[in-house]
Order: sequence, then structure tokens, then C-alpha cells
Amino acid sequence: MSNIHRSRIRRNPAAVSIPRRRFLQGTAAAGAFATTLPVSRVAWSAQDNVLRARGRADLDKLDPGFYQNSYNVDVMNCIYSKLIHYKPGRKWGWKLQAAEKIEQVDPTHIRFRLRPGIMFTGGYGEMTSEDVKFSFERVIEHDSPVKGDWGPLDHVEIEDKYTGVIVLKKPFVPLWNITLPYGAGHIVSKKAVMKATGDGGDFGMKPPCFSGPYVLDEWKPNQYAMLKRNKDYTGPDKAEFDEIKVVPMQDEKTAQIAYESGDIDYALVSLSSLDKYEQNPPPHSSIENYPSLFYVWIGMNTDHPKLKDINVRKAIQWAINVPQIMDTVYFGKADAATGIIAPGLVGHRDKSLVPPEGDLDKAREYLKKAGVDGLELTIDTLNASKWKSIAEIVQAQLGQIGIKLQVNVQDSGSFWTLGMESEGDRWKDLQLIVNRFSMAPDPYYATEWFTCEQVGVWNWERFCNKQFDQLNEEAIGETDPDKRGAMYRKMQDMMEESGAYRFITHEATPIMYRNNRMEVAMRPDGNPLYRYFHSV
Amino acid sequence: MWLYLVRRIVLAMVTLALAVALLHVMIRAVPGDPAAIILGPRATAEQRDKLRERMGLDQPFYVQLGIYFVDLAHGDMGVDVMTGRPVSRIVFEQLPYTLVLILTAIAWAAVLGIPLGCYSAIRRNTLADRVSGILSVSVIAIPAFVMSLYSLLLFAVTLKWLPATGAGDGFFNRHLLLPAFAVGVSWVGYLARVVRASMLEVLGETHIRMNRAFGLPEARIVFRYALPLAILPTVTLLGVGMAYLLSGAVFAEIVFARPGIGTLIVNAVGNRNYPIVMGCVVVTTGLFVIATALADVVNALLDPRARESL
Repeated sequence: MSNIHRSRIRRNPAAVSIPRRRFLQGTAAAGAFATTLPVSRVAWSAQDNVLRARGRADLDKLDPGFYQNSYNVDVMNCIYSKLIHYKPGRKWGWKLQAAEKIEQVDPTHIRFRLRPGIMFTGGYGEMTSEDVKFSFERVIEHDSPVKGDWGPLDHVEIEDKYTGVIVLKKPFVPLWNITLPYGAGHIVSKKAVMKATGDGGDFGMKPPCFSGPYVLDEWKPNQYAMLKRNKDYTGPDKAEFDEIKVVPMQDEKTAQIAYESGDIDYALVSLSSLDKYEQNPPPHSSIENYPSLFYVWIGMNTDHPKLKDINVRKAIQWAINVPQIMDTVYFGKADAATGIIAPGLVGHRDKSLVPPEGDLDKAREYLKKAGVDGLELTIDTLNASKWKSIAEIVQAQLGQIGIKLQVNVQDSGSFWTLGMESEGDRWKDLQLIVNRFSMAPDPYYATEWFTCEQVGVWNWERFCNKQFDQLNEEAIGETDPDKRGAMYRKMQDMMEESGAYRFITHEATPIMYRNNRMEVAMRPDGNPLYRYFHSV
Repeated sequence: MWLYLVRRIVLAMVTLALAVALLHVMIRAVPGDPAAIILGPRATAEQRDKLRERMGLDQPFYVQLGIYFVDLAHGDMGVDVMTGRPVSRIVFEQLPYTLVLILTAIAWAAVLGIPLGCYSAIRRNTLADRVSGILSVSVIAIPAFVMSLYSLLLFAVTLKWLPATGAGDGFFNRHLLLPAFAVGVSWVGYLARVVRASMLEVLGETHIRMNRAFGLPEARIVFRYALPLAILPTVTLLGVGMAYLLSGAVFAEIVFARPGIGTLIVNAVGNRNYPIVMGCVVVTTGLFVIATALADVVNALLDPRARESL
């Protein structure tokens, strides 16, 4: 009987009374519903005076005295004011912002005079020299993680309501390049911060008031930060947009798709896509490429037994062909580095001691001198594809001189403590490393990590040279740019001569934006200064 | 039934406690100093020590675990060291976006996949069945991120019908369509294949043959007697599927730049932001336990035999 029924079902499939038409109608209903939802083409796209920009990550700190990460500072630039700010353009420089006048009186004294009439929101009154004193000194008093930005700040003297003098314990030239025009240079209201925190400490993501042309209207974690025009702003450079919406997008390709679809009007472009966009830009779009300040290098642990011999390190330096890396990983859109200080900054070297192409014969000579054969080494790298690719190219290049290289891939949390002595003994096994540091526009910011004091902290090559340390100390206070530049060039020579470094690149920061909606204002390294973006 | 529910709740709490303890062990086994990552390179050793102390990382492992359980019992998941906001607030702010995404994804997959599976079983070995089989296997085989990217390029970039990124205002809006499609599409295939297989098995059983012998209409046989039984493995699959979708939501949240618990976990793990990682794991483990328990309860409601075994 069962066989009969089975065969019946097989033979007569139409026996079930579900008409095909009804089935198709039913199952297509969901699809039809979806297609009716989009009511109009790009209905959500920007039509009003709103700047929609891609943020590299979600905000996590809006207290300038305790700032972390540049994506927070991009927003701080809009909602607070500081004495001076970076001049938008292709050349590094600064312009007055909240200060009417500022001058270096002597190597340890800087006098400023505030513009009268810059108001804090929320009824906290006018910005005064008392607020400047409070904002700068709290960074030191509260032991902020960025107190290094203020270097040897002693105190701020108040001369009158608008005038004050920044007093340093010793000369500190980077103050003009990385402190006053950047994160720690922002001025907050003493009254408001004291009221909000009680002790003047970190107010995190809850700014008690604002002093810039925009105010933070809403922050939806992981969604967007919405800035609105500050109607009470009386300072220079008024807000050009009614709103600025910064949308965090970690993935560059996602940001590009968001740009093409009209969700955002300003985005960073990945180097792999740059060629495509340059040849065929989206409608009403401009593509611009800025040299970045980041520095990427292959480091060698000079304390590791296999790398103790300088000849081995030199062999590696000469075996690495940087242009090959640039072509493969950076698609020929970034330049080879000559050191750790990027072009355009004081102390940049015109060329490196080891030519970017290297020389395999010379590398073999060094290896012969070292008397090693069948050398096996490791290289540690972050787990993103770019870094893995660099490590793999180096692996192939060293293979040409008979060095077998094993690539160790690490996640960011693990990678960034590899060479730290405080984190166990992993630094002892560290051999080669693909490394990349961010940078602010002062050479001191690059060299400070390679001193003897930093060995086992951030100096993972364990390069230690007393003359380097001395120069680093002297260059901080050297006010003559030519002399200062010569010092930093010498320091980079020392780094390279140690054989512990093979400089790769400073990378690049390509951007695209809707030119029928805005004119961008960028720092020379491609960081956006939204405050100075113009509405078209 | 009540006894069953109590048993499930106790089991859920044990599972949760084990997951938290295991994660505590794993977090400490993995190298990486949260203080160094959170404070950045310019922080001094003293500042890092202070932060470790504030995070309780200077305590022995069992003390940290004990404190965490006590706090958890009071509904306190700690404070995010980056923003200073309560972890519970951060997690529950993001959770609805993920839940809406996975529920929508599984709902549309079920609405399409279950009837498709039934239809294939009823029309076994016909052209429609074969086409459905090929399509089902295809959508299972195509990686979801490929589907996401192409759907983005087609609907957001080329046609500009749908927004590419973000969550928009509220939860149910146009922003949900593409991510829900991408997350749910492979489940249409899975469900269609599972329903088809179990339907074929049930259709061959004695009581179905008996119904036919009594001359009941085929539609009544299928929907009243066969489908409730054939759907049982699917319900279990949907329960477990919720957990897979939680992990699948990670890629969707990153590709579509959506808020959600997936993005939160990925960032927190990278930053060694332990309080957030722990908070997310507690909540997702809880969700997983609830989803599987719900699947069992629905199974019991549908099948008296399952009810008796509870």
C-alpha cells in the first residue's frame, strides 16, 4: 500500500491543491514589498547644507586635555577654539585662531593675547586668559596621557583678562607644531569643566560647553556624530554648513561605496582604488592625493643573537628592494621613505644612505662578512593584508640572499606589545618586524621613540646611541630651523648606520569629495580640517 | 513544562558562568596590554599601572572573576575605559540593531525558504524541484560577503534605490533591507533543503498514507498533518541559527557600517577593551541560550512527543 501511495505522489505531483500561481504570488510578495520601499532615487542623499563625511572610527574622547586618536581631534577642531591652528594647504604652517597675537618672547616664554568676544556656549561667558591657563595646566596636573605634548610646561601667567604668558621650564620648539595647533592646544571653559567634573579632570564624551563655530548636537555611538552651527559663535571663520555629520566607517571600501551611493560627500580612498577613481571619478567629484606623515619601516632587534652582528643587519637592509614593495603594496601611489621624517618637515632627508632599490650583491657581501649560512629568521607583522604583503615581499627578497624568513601574523592587541619588556619575554624572540608609527608635524614626534630610554618600551630595535639621545634633547630647544634640520638628518643617519632600520614609506592619503557641494580644507598630510571646509 | 523551564534557566546560568570564566582565562592567555592600547604610546609606565589598577587587572585571576560575578549579579557590567560610559548601556544601545538585523534576516529567509522546501518536496523530481535545489545550493555556496558587495553595488551604487550604509532613524527602514538580505540569503537555501528533506520523510509516514486512504484533501494533509512534523528540525535549526547569525552579523555590520554588537565586539577585542568584550559575551551567550530554549519550547508546543520528553 505504501508503495502505491509513494508512486502516486511521484506520478501525480499536481495532486496537491496549491496552485503554482498562488505559490509564486505568495513567495514573491516579500520581494515586491522590498522593491516598493525605495520611494525615490537618492531620496536620502545630501540635498541640504550638510557636510556628510566619513570618520575613520567612532568617537571615544572629546576632552582635548586627554585626547586620544586623531579622529577625535577632527571633531574637536570644530567645537572648540585654540590660540593657533594649522593652516590648510600643502605646506605646514599655522594661523591665529582664538589668539589675536602670539609671540615667542624668549626661548621659554610665549605671550598671547586672546581676541575679545569669543563666547562659550551654555552661558559660561567669554573666553579669558584664565581659561587658557586652566586648559593647559590641567593636562599636567591631572597626569594626562598626552602631557608629553606640553613637554616642559611650567605654568601660564595671567597678565590681564585676555593676555597671558606660557612659561616653559626649558625651550620646547615642538610646541608650535604639535601642541598649540593640535589636540592639547584647545581651550575649554574653566567654570564649565569644574562644574561638570568637580576637579577639572577628564570629561570624556560629555563636553560641558563649546567655543567653536560648531557644537556637538548628537552623538549616536557607532552611528554618527552630528555637529550643528553654533549660532552664538563670534570668532573668526564662521561655520559654512548648517550641520556636519561624521559617520564612522572602518572599512575603506565600504566608505567608497557609501560615497558612490551618495550617503557621504567626503571620504578617504584606498590606494588600491585610487587609479580607478583618478581615471573615472564619480560625478561631481575631485580626487586629491596627499603625502602622509606615517612612517613604515622594517626593524631589526639588535639584541637578538641572530641579528647582533651588524653585517647581518646590513645584508638585510641592502637586500630589501623598497620600490618593489611600493609597486606591489602601495600600487605605485606612495613614495619610498628616506627616513622617519616625512617630506615638508624640518629634518627630512633628501635621500637615504642605502638606496631604495638596495643591492643584492652588496647584501651577499655583508652576509659573507658575517660568516653566516642558512640563516633562518622571523618577521612579525599586523594581521591586515597590507602588512602581510610587505612581510611576504621581504620574505621573497631575503630568500634571494639565502635567508629563510618566517612570517608571524599578530592581531593588533598582541602586536603592539611585542617589544615591550613590561609585557613578558616576547621581546627576546622578536627578530624582524614590519612597523608603522603615526606622526605629528614635528620631527621630535618621530625621533623620541628611538632613544635609549625607550628601549623595551617603543624602541623595539633596541637601538641605543648616546649621541643620538643628546642630539634629540638639543634639537627640541633649537629655534633655528636650519640647525634643527641638520640635527634630525644626522639622527636618521645614525639610525640607518646601525643597520637596525630599513625605511619603507610615509604612505599617502588620497581623498575624494563632491566638488559641487564643498571646497575642502586639508592639512598637508591629508587630514581634514572640517571647520574650514567651504560650502559651494 | 514549568519544571522544564526552570531546568533550562538553571542550565542557562551555568552555561553563562562557564562562558564568562572561559573567556576570562582566554583573555589573559592572549598577549596584549589593554592599558598600553587604551592610553596610547605617550603614556608613562605609571599611567599604565594606574589604569591596570582601575581595571582590576592587578588582581589575581580568581579575584577578578569573583568580583565580575558579584557585579554581574547586581546588573553591573563595569565601565568602558575608553569613554567612561557604563558597559551595560553601551551593549544594550547596540544590541537592538543586531537583533533587528538577525530577526529580519531569519524571518524573510523562513518566509521564503519554508514554502520553497514544501513546494520542492511536493513536486519532487520535477523541473521546479531541480531549479529550487540548484538555487538553494547556490545561495548556500556563495559567501555572504560576496552577496553583500554585489547587492551594494547593484542597489545602492548603480540603481541608487537603497542607502548603502548606516542604520537610519528607527530600526525598521530602508537601511535594513540590504544587510538583512545579505545575512539571510544563505538561510533561504538551508531552510529550503532542510524542509524539503524532512517533508519527504514525513510524507512517507504511515499516518499520512492513512490520511490519503481516507481521502482527505492533499492540501489539508500537507499543511495540517505533514508540515507541523516536518517543521520540527527546522525550528531547532532556527534556534541554533540565531547564534550563527549573531556571528554572521559581524561582517554585515562592518560592510554596511551599521551599529550593532558585532562591530562592538570586533573593536573591543582589537583594543583589548575587556569590560566591553565581557559585556558582549554575557549578552550574546544569554541570547543564544534563550534562542535554543525557545526553539525547544516551540518544538514542544508543536509536537506532543517532544512535550512528554521535557
